[in-house]
Parts: sequence; C-alpha cells; structure tokens
Amino acid sequence: MEQNYEFKLDKLTVGYDGKPLIRDITLSLEKGRIMTLIGPNGAGKSTILKSIARQLSALGGRMYFGEKDLVSCSREELAKTMAVVLTDRLHTELMTCRDVVAFGRYPYTGRFGLLSAEDEEKIERAMKLVHVQELSEKDYGRISDGQRQRVLLARAICQEPELLILDEPTSYLDIKYKLEFLSILLKLQRERNLTVIMSLHELELASRVSDRILCVKGEFADRYGTAEEIFQKEYICQLFEIPDELQKSDLGKGILSSILT
Amino acid sequence: MDKKKRRRRYGTAFAVLVVLLVVLFISNICIGSVPVSFLEVKDYFLGRNVPEVTAGIIGKIRLPRALASLLLGGALALSGYLLQSFFRNPIAGPFVLGISSGAKLAVAVLMILSLKKAMQLSSLMMITAAFVGAILSMAFVLAMSKRVSKMSALIVSGVMIGYICSAITDFIVTFAEDSQIVNLHNWSRGSFSGINMANVQVMAVVVICGLLLVFFLAKPIGAYEISEVTAKSLGVNVPFLKVSLVILSSILSACVVAFAGPVSFVGVATPHMVKRLLGSSKPILMIPACFLGGAVFCLLSDLIARMVFSPTELSISTVTAVFGAPVVLIVMAKRRKEV
Repeated sequence: MEQNYEFKLDKLTVGYDGKPLIRDITLSLEKGRIMTLIGPNGAGKSTILKSIARQLSALGGRMYFGEKDLVSCSREELAKTMAVVLTDRLHTELMTCRDVVAFGRYPYTGRFGLLSAEDEEKIERAMKLVHVQELSEKDYGRISDGQRQRVLLARAICQEPELLILDEPTSYLDIKYKLEFLSILLKLQRERNLTVIMSLHELELASRVSDRILCVKGEFADRYGTAEEIFQKEYICQLFEIPDELQKSDLGKGILSSILT
Repeated sequence: MDKKKRRRRYGTAFAVLVVLLVVLFISNICIGSVPVSFLEVKDYFLGRNVPEVTAGIIGKIRLPRALASLLLGGALALSGYLLQSFFRNPIAGPFVLGISSGAKLAVAVLMILSLKKAMQLSSLMMITAAFVGAILSMAFVLAMSKRVSKMSALIVSGVMIGYICSAITDFIVTFAEDSQIVNLHNWSRGSFSGINMANVQVMAVVVICGLLLVFFLAKPIGAYEISEVTAKSLGVNVPFLKVSLVILSSILSACVVAFAGPVSFVGVATPHMVKRLLGSSKPILMIPACFLGGAVFCLLSDLIARMVFSPTELSISTVTAVFGAPVVLIVMAKRRKEV
C-alpha cells in the first residue's frame, strides 16, 4: 500500500523570506499520476511549485519521492529525479532550439558538458516525441510561444526525470497548442509512467487531465481530491469567490455548467 | 550537415583570431621609432646573434610590452565576458561598472603611501591593492543591482561609482608629492609602456590561472546564462558560481589595472565581436575566443597608440574607445526594447 504512493508531502510549509504563506500541506500521489494545482490568482500555486522544485527553500516539513528525501538529497540527484519548467524569462542569445533542449542532458554530462553520441540520440528522441524536430536548427528567440513551451518540454524529457514540475504550461498558448501540449503530457504519463505536478488556470482542462487536484487558497491547502470531488459547482464558486449575482446570471450559469460537467 | 557547417565556422573563427594574434604580435615587435626587421626578430627568438641594441629593444622594451598587451587584453575581455554573464547584461564590463576605477583608486593610494614610506612596491602588492579596490566597487554595484532591475540603471550606477573613484583619485594625485605625480598620471590614463619582463611573469601566472579556472566554469556558466531557475533545476550550485564569477572577474580586471591602469571598452566590446564571429554563445567556445579577441584588440590598439602620432604616444583608452564605443552603441540600439 505505502509503496504505491511515490510522491509525498508531509506538513510542507512554503513562503518567502521566512514568512509562511501556506502551511502544513500533507498529501500523497501515486507514481505516474497527474496532479494539478488550481486556485485564485496570487494564492500561492507558484510558490508551492517552486518549493517542491527546491527553487525556494521550504520553511518546514518533508518531501519524498519514493524513498528519496527531496529536501536533503544532493543537487545532482535532484536534477536527475525532477525536471522543472517554470515561467521565468530565458536568455537564449544565438541558441538554437536544439541547444536549449540539450541542456536537459546537463546532469549527465562531464566536467565540460560535452555531449556523447548517446546524449545526442536522447535529445533527438525527446524532440521527436513532442514534435519539435523540425525546429531543431531554428533560433529559440524566433519561434512562437506554443513552440517554445514544447521545446522546454523536450528539454525536460531528455533530462529523464521521474517527476515533472510545470508552472502554468498552457497559459499563453492558443487552443490548438493547449490541446497538443496536454495530449503530449498524457502520452508521457502513459508511456513513461511520468509523475506530473503542475498548475493550470483553465479549469476545463484541469478537470480533464488531472488524476488529483490540489486547491490552493488561504493559509492552508484548501482541498485535495479527484476531479469529481473538486469540481462541484458550490465548491468552485466558493474557491474562486464568485459572487451570487454572477453565478445566477445567464452568462455565469452557461460557463460554469460547461466547466463543471 | 548543419553541424558540419557550424564546426567549420568555429574552426575558421579561431583560425582568424590566431592568425591576427600572431601577425599583430610580430608587428608590435617590429614597428616602432626604431624599426626592427622580421628577420632580426626571427633570429632573436631562435637565439642567434643580433646587434646588442636591437636585442635590447626587443628584449627589454617591445617584447614585454607586446606580451603585456596580449595577456592583459585577454584578461580584460574575459573579465567583461564574466560580468556580462553574471548580470545577463550585454553592456556590462569592468570599466563601465566602475570596477577598474575602484582598482585604480586603491592602487593610487598604495603608490602614494609607498612613496611616503620609501617602500619598494612589488607586482603582487599592486595586484592585491587593485583586487581590493575592484571588489569594493563590485560590492557597490551588487548592492545597486538588488535595487534596480533595469539594465541601463545598473550601468548608470556603475558609471557613477567610476566617477566617484576617479574624482577621489584625482584629488589624491593633486596633493601627492611632485616626483611621483608624472608617473601616476601616465599610469592612471592607461598605458602598456614601462612594463618589464618580471612584471610579465607575474601577470602571466595570474592571467593564465584565471583563464584555466574560468574554463572549468564553462558548463555552469552556460546554464546560468539562460536563467537562474534553469541553472538551479539542472543541479548547478548557483551561489558558488556567482561568487566565483565575481572573484574571477575582479582578479582579472585588477591585474590589468595594476600593470596598465584602467583600459576602457575592451571588456564590453570584445565578447560581442567574437560572439558575432563565432555565431554562437556557448561558453566553451566563448571563453578561449574572448581571450584571443581581447589580445588582438589590445595589440592592435597599442600599435595604433604608439604609431599614429609618433613620437607622441596616445593613451591606450583613447584608441580602445574609438573602436569599442561604437560596438556598445550598436548593441544598445539593437536591444533598445530590453534596455
């Protein structure tokens, strides 16, 4: 029973500059499942993701992936376990998409970062998997947001992680790219048994792809459960503080019912 | 196929830099108020007999000066490259950020103190003083960089720090005893003259050690240049890398200031020029290319400084600014949206 739960948070407390923002998050997630964080803007979804990725040091609590203690394991070990795509701005002067993807091999290459034939092949395969092989020689600065997001996903894949952390990966994508991106994620989940933890703004997407949903609001993580459990009209309206008159208007009714089927 | 093409381009770029370096190095030895023929230079290096006067000119004056231009030029460009990587700011450099001026101030103070106490100055003392000055200026720039987020604001604060340090240096020089003023004044404008072989040995050790250490940081620098988050997520020890970048860039620019005074624009401009030449920003290529490029830049500038108005010598910064400043302007114009 215990072994099935690969990813575990035990009373994780996160925040900035020693000030706790969200306290005592305790949850477990089976290997190969997708967990999505939802919640109002500024609730702390990114803060939680950054803390799991150890970009921010956690203010308290433990994180485990299987037997591995994610708080105390070495940087190198963490980089081989977990790949991260956050929303920071990238400086990629004169870099091709392939160069950007190749950084995924960083934890595996030697002192000078030279790529072996095996590394090259893994880069190639990762790019093929997310359909960006035709961008290989293009300048990363000159492709669309949707293409960039996929290139970054390819980078994450060739890092060969067991755990993938994504912060709002679909935010700037049009509907075609959103669907494409999420279908690649589902494929990765199926084929590589990859565990995914991400935040999404689009509730209709979250409800379709997530095995577990973590609702973030206020000082504690509000709720954790399956999509069916979370996507109840009353609860969602309460989570996002949607006022009554909006809920009862024709527009509100229509949109809410389309999300919450 | 693309890979082959790119390899060829890198090969060509390095060949161009090496050829320029060799040609300029020899020209710097041959050309001067007393011309020395190429054959004489060849004989000198092969240990054959050359007239004593010629041997003196080569061995005591031109060779150390050319070697100093080569090593210090390389050090400046490398220091500029490290600063640009550190701040992810294309117009950062030891001179514009006021680091050279801080080092200059510290060295000026040391020179005057030594004069008062009649103490002999060693190269190592000069470098140490310059390093202390450079690190102090760097500390100010770092403090400012926490408060300002815009690239241009950072540069302006660096320029201001430079002005403050230069003003204090001028003040000290004005009240120093006469005999030393001339010496100090020449040096404080930046010049490769008056460097002897013993100086060259010391700077060779410092600069080459610096170059090797930077080489070992090539891999993490590449990841860090993309973004700090990326570097961290790939397992880079970011705090250690940042401290290393600050210390190495300060040592390299301090070494230049200690021997040649402040030299402007080589550090800012060279990385951009070699980046265009290579068509790549990979640190493993950029590090050696910057070193070679900086050496070429300084050898050429020193040749021009000595020759154009001979026998009057221009200060080296006069020449480097003429070539370097337009490069900075072009870079700024191209990125006006971000700056």
